[in-house]
Amino acid sequence: MPSDPSKLKIVKELNRSDILFSLARLPATNQLFVGSSDFAIHSLDPMTEGKESKQFTGHQSYVAGLTLAGDQLISGAYDGRLGWWDVETQQSIRMIDAHDKWIRGVEISPDDQFISTVSDDMVCRVWNAQTSEMVHELRGHAPQTPTRFPSMLFCSAFSPDGQLLATADKVGHVVIWDVQTGSELATLDAPGMYTWDPKQRIHSIGGIRSLAFTPDSKRIACGGIGQIGNVDHLDALARIEIFDWQTGERTHELAGDTHKGLVERLVFDPEGNWLFATGGDHGGFIKFIDLEKNEIIKQDKAPMHVHDVAINEQHDTIYAAGHGKVIVWELKPDETTG
Amino acid sequence: MKSPQRFLSENASGQAFNRRSFLGGTSLGASAIASNMTILNMLKSPALAEELKRQEKRVILLWLAGGPSQLETWDPKPGRPTGGPFRSIQTCLPGVQISELLPAMSQRLQNTAIIRSLNTKIADHGGGATLMHLGRRDEPNVKYPDLGAVIARELGRANSTVPDYVTFYTATEGRSNALGQAGFLGARYMPMFLTTDSKPENLSRRETISDVDHRDRAELQKLLSERFGRGRANATLASHNEAYSRVRGLMASEELFNIEQEPQAVRDKYGPSLFGQQALVARRLIEAGTPFVKVSRAWWDSHGQNFETHLELVAELDHVMSTLLDDLEERGLLEHTLVITLGEFGRTPSINPSLGRDHFASAWSTSLTGCGIKGGSVYGATDEDGNTVKDGEIGAAELFATIYKALGINPHKDYFVGSRPLPLTDPGTETVAEVLA
Amino acid sequence: MQRWVTGAEPAHFLCSPRLSRDAVALELMKTILSVTVSLFLVLPSFRATFADDLLPADQPIPTVIDHYIDLALVDTEVIPSAPATDANMARRLYLDLVGRIPSMAEAQSFVAAADDSKKQQLIDRLIVSPGFIRHQANEFDAMLMNGKGSIRDYLLTAFREHRRWDEMFRELILGESADVEQKGAIQFVRSRAQDLDKLTNETSVMFFGVNVSCAKCHDHPLVDAWTQNHFYGMKSFFSRTFDNGGLIGERDYGLVSFTTTAGESRQASMLFLNGTEVEEPAPKEPSDEEKKQESQRLEELKKNKQPPPPPEFSRRAQLVRVALESQSNNYFAKAIVNKTWNRFFGSGIVMPIDQMHPENEPSHPQLLEWLARDLINNGYDLTRLTRGILLSNAYARTSMWEGEQPPEPSLFAVALPRPLTPFQYATTLRFGSRSPETFASDLSVEDHEKRVEAVETSARGLATLFEQPYDAFQISVSEALLLSNGDRAENELLREDADSLVNKLKVLTDRHQIIETAIWSILSRPPTADEFSMFDQYLAARENQPIQRCQQIIWILLTSSENRFNY
Repeated sequence: MPSDPSKLKIVKELNRSDILFSLARLPATNQLFVGSSDFAIHSLDPMTEGKESKQFTGHQSYVAGLTLAGDQLISGAYDGRLGWWDVETQQSIRMIDAHDKWIRGVEISPDDQFISTVSDDMVCRVWNAQTSEMVHELRGHAPQTPTRFPSMLFCSAFSPDGQLLATADKVGHVVIWDVQTGSELATLDAPGMYTWDPKQRIHSIGGIRSLAFTPDSKRIACGGIGQIGNVDHLDALARIEIFDWQTGERTHELAGDTHKGLVERLVFDPEGNWLFATGGDHGGFIKFIDLEKNEIIKQDKAPMHVHDVAINEQHDTIYAAGHGKVIVWELKPDETTG
Repeated sequence: MKSPQRFLSENASGQAFNRRSFLGGTSLGASAIASNMTILNMLKSPALAEELKRQEKRVILLWLAGGPSQLETWDPKPGRPTGGPFRSIQTCLPGVQISELLPAMSQRLQNTAIIRSLNTKIADHGGGATLMHLGRRDEPNVKYPDLGAVIARELGRANSTVPDYVTFYTATEGRSNALGQAGFLGARYMPMFLTTDSKPENLSRRETISDVDHRDRAELQKLLSERFGRGRANATLASHNEAYSRVRGLMASEELFNIEQEPQAVRDKYGPSLFGQQALVARRLIEAGTPFVKVSRAWWDSHGQNFETHLELVAELDHVMSTLLDDLEERGLLEHTLVITLGEFGRTPSINPSLGRDHFASAWSTSLTGCGIKGGSVYGATDEDGNTVKDGEIGAAELFATIYKALGINPHKDYFVGSRPLPLTDPGTETVAEVLA
Repeated sequence: MQRWVTGAEPAHFLCSPRLSRDAVALELMKTILSVTVSLFLVLPSFRATFADDLLPADQPIPTVIDHYIDLALVDTEVIPSAPATDANMARRLYLDLVGRIPSMAEAQSFVAAADDSKKQQLIDRLIVSPGFIRHQANEFDAMLMNGKGSIRDYLLTAFREHRRWDEMFRELILGESADVEQKGAIQFVRSRAQDLDKLTNETSVMFFGVNVSCAKCHDHPLVDAWTQNHFYGMKSFFSRTFDNGGLIGERDYGLVSFTTTAGESRQASMLFLNGTEVEEPAPKEPSDEEKKQESQRLEELKKNKQPPPPPEFSRRAQLVRVALESQSNNYFAKAIVNKTWNRFFGSGIVMPIDQMHPENEPSHPQLLEWLARDLINNGYDLTRLTRGILLSNAYARTSMWEGEQPPEPSLFAVALPRPLTPFQYATTLRFGSRSPETFASDLSVEDHEKRVEAVETSARGLATLFEQPYDAFQISVSEALLLSNGDRAENELLREDADSLVNKLKVLTDRHQIIETAIWSILSRPPTADEFSMFDQYLAARENQPIQRCQQIIWILLTSSENRFNY
């Protein structure tokens, strides 16, 4: 048994003065790279008290997306730029103007061949992870909300089989793309994730903030927040909807009854045992859901609003970055806890 | 036989109680040029338009309710821990940068003064809104008039046929904090308050009565009321007669609220948002002689997702404000119209875990554009993280004194309630000379 | 003080209205008054007056009022205006006592009566009528609740049972002992419990005539003797009051501390306005554990909608005690006397009515003192006070001033036109738009009362559209627009109902009869010759619109200034 969410416990908690929006982990190590509100990428090992060894500078706004492609670290930031960095030397390999507006996230395909970037310019671009050549430019999201405010394209996700890419935006619109051809395969809508208040406050909040395909690539999970009464606050239950993307059928609708805020990250256990969700409002949460039984296996408060996570190869350790903290959780079965 | 109308008009010369002298003010405000719908048509005549523009002063207050962030508007701190993700952009003024969320405004600061050094101390919505409406703390034993009421009295005409104080407030949140307070100036100076409709209530004649009958019954009512008023010199009684005497004129101003009267090209410029449409009505109103219009945009209270909220709201503000300023300038109205952006406070430099900013009154910003203002100026400064004012600290009183002064109103004049003199701004309050033309 | 005075522009209306009018009349008046004046001649003093200086307690209230008012008139050589006409008097009394205008039959019968004591008879009849109780409840509801909720049911019961004012005060601050659901008098406290500063100040304004809030942030700018201690001293009486799920409770612990303008932190103790400090048993500050238990208990009570248990030592009860005990400088009694006076004269003996502090001299200190003493001696009986005021000559003057400059309101030499309260105005509008037959004189007293009450009830909605008058009240243009163009105004006032005035008038062919009926019905008086002529022309020009012309003249009269005021 590789992991047991019921044994969830914090094994490390590092305080920081910045806000961490993105996280990447060097395989088979505790070495983390975090994208910060100080516009830099920091590398740290939380198990050695987070002593910072390296810093990558060059972005001019929040670093919202980080991924590793071999020995290259790829970053996307609110400055619209995409950076390639040498992990060893911390030198910038290249920095390109990738989008007109904020880059909200950077994802990498399972074979490390492609990366996808999403931006508030409402375009998803697929790049060759090694050469930085643009492979596709995917336009399937309306630039404005129905009430004519700028929309936002928050997230993308590759399917485990590497064939599919999903993108999702502020109003809850999801597009499934064919990675090879760049063609649009299906669209879905989860309007419950977006709140427009036409009367009391006349602005909006919400959106789909996280996506994950099921291990069989047949379904897509969307994370966000439910309908909000007072749009000044993240004041609704964290929300997950799962669709069969081919039929459009919504197979799961999960809001729980405890944790409020945005679902910032969704990760499926490759064995299919659980779906992991995390995020937050002023505080944070973490939860594990058994999709077969449609019930929560384990949920808890997180010590901070979590923005990004990485999970180790054994799926028994979770590294999380968020508001002012880095956290390491373990969910190891008793016999292997050490 | 004489027609009743003629009979009435021959007799309709009552003597109105002079409220202005009752209040003890000496200024009659701007000149009393007739201001009504006909003016709108006459503005086509350039000579008269010039004349009007020279003499009449107006205010449009863009009331940003809930508290916009100074860091995402006029006082960005890019690269600081408090600065948030937005960049600042170079403006048309050398050395002056504002948030990238205001690209259109960044190129239109030649008539604008930015004040970056408000410290108003009150950081709850109700108290802050009261302070920034009155220019002073509310006192239970004296009901002070708000900015709109003072301007209406100082710059309006006693028997104006256009409304002299109009407020738009569409959202419901915070509306009760912005209702308008005429205080000791009296209900004559309460705003015409518009909420979901862009047209005021009870301004159209009911179909059950003809226009002639509506007019004649009002004239006979007026005559009766004036006769009743003789020998009864009483301010409240006079206000009744005065209120009714304004009805017909206000009804004639109904078309001012109808933006369909504007060319499509103008409407397109302002855009489809309610805020934009109301700004266009505001322009029509001030053009026709209304001295004070408040267009409220609520609700900026971004405790969660401050940046995304400001992406929506500042983008809208940038568009509406720049369109309004362009329109006023093209019509030659800007030098006689003061456009103010103001909320009840700013927002905390620190960013909370919901990526929000909270209430903050210690170091925030406002802008003044047009009439009486030294364009292209920036006054005051905050520290590198925006936590405190480090230079040129002012409060609500100084801001209001500066606004009055820009409009040619003596900020130190007294009103009288009974025998008690009530200064327009507290004694010793100084104007910000650096932003005055 | 200095800052209010410096830099003042000269105020031309400040010049004293000492009018030397008809010298003969003045001499005559001096002669008439000389007897009383010489008996009780006490020059108006600027400081506290003493019981010994006052007229004897057994004098009738109207006599005392006129004595003191006339004394000041002689002193200032002002001759008051003539008595109001009978029709004017009837209208004024109906509005003041039962909150509506008289019907045509009531007005005409009062005018026609030849009896010298008809005014007293009318007062005595109205003051025991159910209409008086309803009107009192409406007026006090508006005063006490300020439009935030209503305690009308409580007030109706209290006034029906002739409850003493001090008793009502006790109930408003402490709640009625039988009222477990706290739906009654305690709503006064509950509606303000979220904001203790407001509760402190509004209690002080309403019951003691003193606005203490300007002593909150700094020492009182107008009253040297009052410091921040006074505000926080008053606040201390309320500091343990809290709202638990809509039910009011009071704790046994908790202190008020505040920061002085000098930046010093101070602990407040209970201090009443007259300087009386209240001692209390030393409060036991509970431990954190006890507090936790307490909040659990309160949660439980909240769930079960039960009120929190009463405290062993109630600070609010101390306020009631100390306010009622203070015989000298009795803020409580003087405040209600001044408010009642203000209600019937349109100006208080102390103005503004919430500034009854030592530095704000009453216009007639002895009168205020005497009336307060009378109120206390006679069981805080507000009906007695009302009746006494309404029987005075001072109350009965016309509001017309024939001379050039009207005298200062504080002389009470001429009646002031008083804007109607929302209930008075709405009821008057509804009442005036009914056919006079609705209130015909041959109805039984009970049937008449039922119909009157029905009209009052029907006016409650309309009343919400009008503003409660305040000091220096001005009528807004939105009211004028509402009544000129609002569908509600048209539907409620001008529709052709079976018992509407429109229906009554439209069938009359004689224009004079239309005018006479309309003016009597709405303005409670006969038309003048001018009015006959003006309205006749108006009607004659609209022979082809028999219904609309009647609606229009009804509108003209209903919305006229005369109908908007109690004059």
